[in-house]
Amino acid sequence: MKKALLMSMAVLFTSFAALAQRVVTGTISDEAGSTLPGVNVLVKGSTNGTTTDLDGNFRLSVPENGGTLVFRFIGFESQEVEIGAQSVINVTLSEDVTELSEVVVVGYGTQIKQDLTGNVAQVSGEDIENIPVPSFEQAIQGRTAGVQITSQNGKVGGGINIRVRGASSISASNEPLYVVDGIPITTDNQSLTSAATNPLSDINFNDIASIEILKDASSAAIYGSRGSNGVVLITTKQGKAGKTQFNFNAQFGFSKPTRKRDFINAGQYIELFREAAYNNDLADGFDPINNPDDYAGSWLEYMEGTFDYLSGHVDWREEIANNPNWEGTDWQEEAFQDASVQSYDLSARGGSDNTRFFFSGSVTDQDGILIGNSFQRISGRLNLDHDISEKLTVGVNVGISRSLNNRVTDDNAFSTPLQLIAQAPITPVRDEEGNLYDNTVNPAMFYYPATMEEENSDFTTTVFRNLVNTSATYDVVDGLSITGEYGFDLLTQLEQRYQNSVTEAGLSVGGYGQDRWVRIFNYTSRLYANYSKVFDVHSIDFTLGTEFQKSTRHQTLTAGQGYPLDELKTLSSAAEVADWSGTLNEYSFLSYFGRLNYKLQDKYLLGVSGRMDASSRFGENNRYGFFPAASVGWIISNEGFLGSSDVLSFLKLRASYGLTGNAGIGNYDHFGTYVAAGYNGQSALIPSQIPNPDLEWEKTAQVDIGVDFGLFGDRLSGELDYYKKNTTDLLLNVPVLGTSGFSTQTQNIGELQNSGVEVVLNYDLIKGSAFSWSTSLNYAANQNKVTKLYGDTEQIGPTSSRYMNAIIVGEAIGVHYGVEFAGANPENGDAIFYLNRDPSEEELNDGSAFTVDHLGDRYVTDNYNLAESKVLGNPNPDFIYGWTNNFKFKGFDLSILIQGQEGNKVFLGGGTFMTANARYEDNQTADQLDRWQQPGDITDVPQARLYANNGAQTSSRYLSDASYVRLKTLTFGYNFPRSILGNSFISSARVYFSGQNLITITDYDGWDPEVNTDYLASNIFLGNDFYSAPQAKTFTFGVKLGF
Amino acid sequence: MKNIKIYSILFLSLLILGSCTDELDLNPPQDIDNSIALNTDANVKTVLVGAYDALSDTDLFGGNTQRNSELLGADDELQFSGTFGDPSDIWRKEITVINGDVADLWLDGYRTINITNNILAALDVVNEEDRSTVEAEARFIRGMMYFELVLFFGPSYSDGDPATNLGVPLVTEPNDVNPVDRATVSAVYDFVIDDLSFAAANLPADNGVYANSVAAGALLSRVYLQQGDYASARDASDAALTAADGIYDLEGSFDAAFNNQSNGIEDVFSIQVTTQDGANNMQLFFASSSLGGRGDIEIFAKHLNLYEAGDDRGSFFYTDAATGDTRTSKWTDQFANVTFIRLAELYLTRAESNFREGTAVGATPASDLNMIRNRAGLGDITTPTLADILNERKLELAFEGHSIHEIKRLQGSSDGFSYSAPELVFPIPDRERNINPGLQQNDGYGN
Repeated sequence: MKKALLMSMAVLFTSFAALAQRVVTGTISDEAGSTLPGVNVLVKGSTNGTTTDLDGNFRLSVPENGGTLVFRFIGFESQEVEIGAQSVINVTLSEDVTELSEVVVVGYGTQIKQDLTGNVAQVSGEDIENIPVPSFEQAIQGRTAGVQITSQNGKVGGGINIRVRGASSISASNEPLYVVDGIPITTDNQSLTSAATNPLSDINFNDIASIEILKDASSAAIYGSRGSNGVVLITTKQGKAGKTQFNFNAQFGFSKPTRKRDFINAGQYIELFREAAYNNDLADGFDPINNPDDYAGSWLEYMEGTFDYLSGHVDWREEIANNPNWEGTDWQEEAFQDASVQSYDLSARGGSDNTRFFFSGSVTDQDGILIGNSFQRISGRLNLDHDISEKLTVGVNVGISRSLNNRVTDDNAFSTPLQLIAQAPITPVRDEEGNLYDNTVNPAMFYYPATMEEENSDFTTTVFRNLVNTSATYDVVDGLSITGEYGFDLLTQLEQRYQNSVTEAGLSVGGYGQDRWVRIFNYTSRLYANYSKVFDVHSIDFTLGTEFQKSTRHQTLTAGQGYPLDELKTLSSAAEVADWSGTLNEYSFLSYFGRLNYKLQDKYLLGVSGRMDASSRFGENNRYGFFPAASVGWIISNEGFLGSSDVLSFLKLRASYGLTGNAGIGNYDHFGTYVAAGYNGQSALIPSQIPNPDLEWEKTAQVDIGVDFGLFGDRLSGELDYYKKNTTDLLLNVPVLGTSGFSTQTQNIGELQNSGVEVVLNYDLIKGSAFSWSTSLNYAANQNKVTKLYGDTEQIGPTSSRYMNAIIVGEAIGVHYGVEFAGANPENGDAIFYLNRDPSEEELNDGSAFTVDHLGDRYVTDNYNLAESKVLGNPNPDFIYGWTNNFKFKGFDLSILIQGQEGNKVFLGGGTFMTANARYEDNQTADQLDRWQQPGDITDVPQARLYANNGAQTSSRYLSDASYVRLKTLTFGYNFPRSILGNSFISSARVYFSGQNLITITDYDGWDPEVNTDYLASNIFLGNDFYSAPQAKTFTFGVKLGF
Repeated sequence: MKNIKIYSILFLSLLILGSCTDELDLNPPQDIDNSIALNTDANVKTVLVGAYDALSDTDLFGGNTQRNSELLGADDELQFSGTFGDPSDIWRKEITVINGDVADLWLDGYRTINITNNILAALDVVNEEDRSTVEAEARFIRGMMYFELVLFFGPSYSDGDPATNLGVPLVTEPNDVNPVDRATVSAVYDFVIDDLSFAAANLPADNGVYANSVAAGALLSRVYLQQGDYASARDASDAALTAADGIYDLEGSFDAAFNNQSNGIEDVFSIQVTTQDGANNMQLFFASSSLGGRGDIEIFAKHLNLYEAGDDRGSFFYTDAATGDTRTSKWTDQFANVTFIRLAELYLTRAESNFREGTAVGATPASDLNMIRNRAGLGDITTPTLADILNERKLELAFEGHSIHEIKRLQGSSDGFSYSAPELVFPIPDRERNINPGLQQNDGYGN
């Protein structure tokens, strides 16, 4: 090193001697305004050069007659600048966007994208910075191929489901494994109610440097028995040597529902329900309208009496006389609130040569669109690494957060805000004294309203989260390093719920309160060695290690009732304990893993990896499992015969095959157990589970064949993949003979298949210094198929009479299976259903099966029970896609993400009440005005009949196409030029607008097509809507400053 | 050399992690492993309490089996007007192979039997002095359960040839997941008699709220009545009454025999219900909503007209204010025990079997009969007929779960269905035959 310095000084000296010299200085920074240390600065065509110092400054003697300076830095595009007469040359280097040179994080290491033989999707932290959503999965929706992300509803802080290349399990988890800075984190839902909360929303995603999703077997096999559903690797931002760079971001905005539905108003309500009652009278042989004597005791009288009750202090007769189109109360508006969004983020990054840090602090406060719903997160992070010596580096990453979620009740509760739409539009929200109407205390309703719940209850979830990782890396010899890591995820959650003495839950017991604590300590320790070396034309990279993880979960619940005052809300005020529990749950994994990547002549790639996993979750006969994978790649473009092509700049073929597992089952499913019980106040033990010592993980064998290519100097690049995943030994709760004393047992039985294609295309359409436009498209089509269940069983379910999801061999998991609705019988307004089979002689004779003209020759029936069920639709989409466009013009930038899915069907479970031709007193959707009224009417809405089930059975009537295209994210920003900022301490300034879910195009009948009702969502209950809140459409404005 | 150092560091570290294998043996904290549950005297006895808990399930003697007997044997004397489809189908004799209540009786019945089989397989860890009592209690529960299963799932003993008619599978091994064929009705009866005889011989007459020799004798006498073996029924009931002496007695008044939160003097065996634990489904279905019931079962005049004037039992009914329906007063307290065997039954059994045998073992039929009549506020019948005794039995034990079993043994009919009609026999649940298609279905339910 010293020698080199001397040498260059000598060279410098001789140059100085030969030519007249002068000095040029300057500062080199990146596009974000951060200065760049270590940039190579060289006079072109000479050996005269230097590197920038810690603050990005350089000072270089150049020939008097000018010349050209070349600036080079890894990860950035090189730049050449004519010196001319300048004495100060400040340069902004742009990052090298060539995808192929990107570093990709893989399990226990990194790889250059060009050398990847597996399939890894990558999202950089920059792409999702400041997107106004609470949780990073929402922010990456549509940005990666083959990763389907679905929020269950529009409740902020609620559950989100992710499927990487389809669902690979029926009973076990289908969610990917999440690993933050190497630590597998806790992602299981911890909600007290059946509606999930989202433990991932505790992470401030502005701290994320990159997200990698391991999709194929060769990339995921190193996570062994937990790789089947894909692995999401999250890497947080690390420190960087150089002057400390601060970033401050402030953002404000508001949210609204993406879509609203049309409901009938008060005038129409009265018209429709009078008609429904009158129809009942006519059917009973009475005519209370034309024959006043029939009025007393008629349905019509009953209904008008009901109006008297429902309209509270309002005189509905007078209102309707004044205005037949009386609007009444728009209950939908009552369910939504003005939702504001704000967040503040401060980060600092810097360090010296041997100590580097990244620090951040952030506050996010986001209202939900539903009344009473909000999410707040305060978080901090400090990532620090320090070189103790040239050989030894230690680091610590500490993330802490507190999130507070004000929650609303589950979708199936009367008290959930959107169930307000069931209330009659003739019912006022409040009486003349300003008191809320409800169904008991101040009665004018049949259903308990969310307005009452919102004013008289609290339901909060507070989560304290610590994500800590410590590491030490020792470079033993050149190329060989050993890394030891210990990290943990500590989650402490308190759910508090208090429903005072006028709420539905608290009314009969004088107030009801619950406190539930959950603490999960999930730690991982690991040790691994990495060896990488280039010998001549061979390059190898070898990783070998071991890991242990254990998670311990404590839960206690106490519920009390009988509170002396509504103001006294803590449990100690309760008169009696109503419920209690205390539980402990643990699991552990012990693993050994390894990987070898070999590259020959930069053309031929080979990867072999594997993991041996043992888990406490598995039976003693099958405790250890081995998950190997192998992959090959061939970089054709590096072969001589293609070397001269101008068009084709890069071409790689790759293939991988391997085995992964799914260990997402209960912690103790393999035991034969007894559980505590009681009889006559005496404690007892009863068998609870039949042992299965053979229980093991599900196995997924996946093959992936892909092509990576670059055209026109990589301006157009892409990836094409075909994959097939066969899952065997499905973990199923299989019915066993009742004579054994048990009814089910978890067994490894059943098979499932996912296959599909993925396409990723990136194109730098225009690459100018003033204007640039790049576009990126991703598309994935996955076909899911259940191929085998237990025994001769061909079908399980539908297990609920209200929903239609079934598991059927040969079909996708959770298909909607049921009776096909055919509309209204034009003759009499009866609901009719397609028979979907040949009618019997008897059915034809007694008229229970018949045809109607407008439906052609398909047989229909008015008897729901006679209609044959069939597969009516798939809740899984045929394909999903995302399309990003980035424009830059001078200081302006515009980024547009369009995202969508196609072909999935959603069942509107709430339709059986709100789209039910005036069956109950529930307010009806506007389309119900098309009801059948007289013979000859051709309509899909049967005749209105009060309290009669005329077509409101579970059927295809409530199944709707939920395909959609969405303007998911739009960000428009302006970066102030340096010239304006001048020499102020501010190094960069940006103002921007960022919007989420701005436009949604869909034919979906419900609120928002991205839905799966929270109280029910599971592997099988897919694509259901039950008074589920629509997604939020969010508009925010922000300022970002660097200094 | 250096490499060796590195490799030994690596190797050592792997060893350290390897020692974590102990941490892979994590036991369920809320449950305990099979081996622990049955490894000590105390634990086996705790499991025995669990067997009573299983027996007391609402699908079983917590009320639903008695209710189902009443619904099958309704014979226009009562109506089920509730919204639950499964009991409604049972009342209408339109039971399907997927009836949930039928499946629950099967599943919970065998669950109870399996617990007793586990206890019986672990007797050797029970203290020697208690061993026979523990065995007798377990066999009491098992015998009682098998008897109930064969009553519902097999043709009546009085119908055709019980030696060829199919009853239910006899499972005697713990946790046996293998298919077991249905045993014949008479084989199941023999098994039940064996268990209950052992229980009667080895249990104390007073055993708190748990199984006792009087209850075992009473059950045994029910079994013999079903078989038409009146001599044995007489001897069993007489032995039970003898054992009951000084421990059990008739309540002074009829109404005092019901709605007791703890066992009364007449309660030989009841399912225990407390505010913390257990439930009384007879009350749930028979009682009005104002009493916390569902108000699902209405008593018709056909039944009310059976009582003679002055019969206290004839006025042991009330009108449901909400619906105007008549309901029985036998089940009005939701926290009362579910009465299963009352001493009164034993007198009536002894009276009937003595009468049929022309004997007077223990007492004359008239004296037994009149003891029950007098308690109900009625006068003596000096020379009773068989019809008198059977009528008395019907009225005394009405709505306590005996109906369909009485109709079957006496070869009567219910709602137009003969005692041998397939509609009065439960189908083998579909879920069971899906797993073991070899399990033969009962007549009238396809195959």
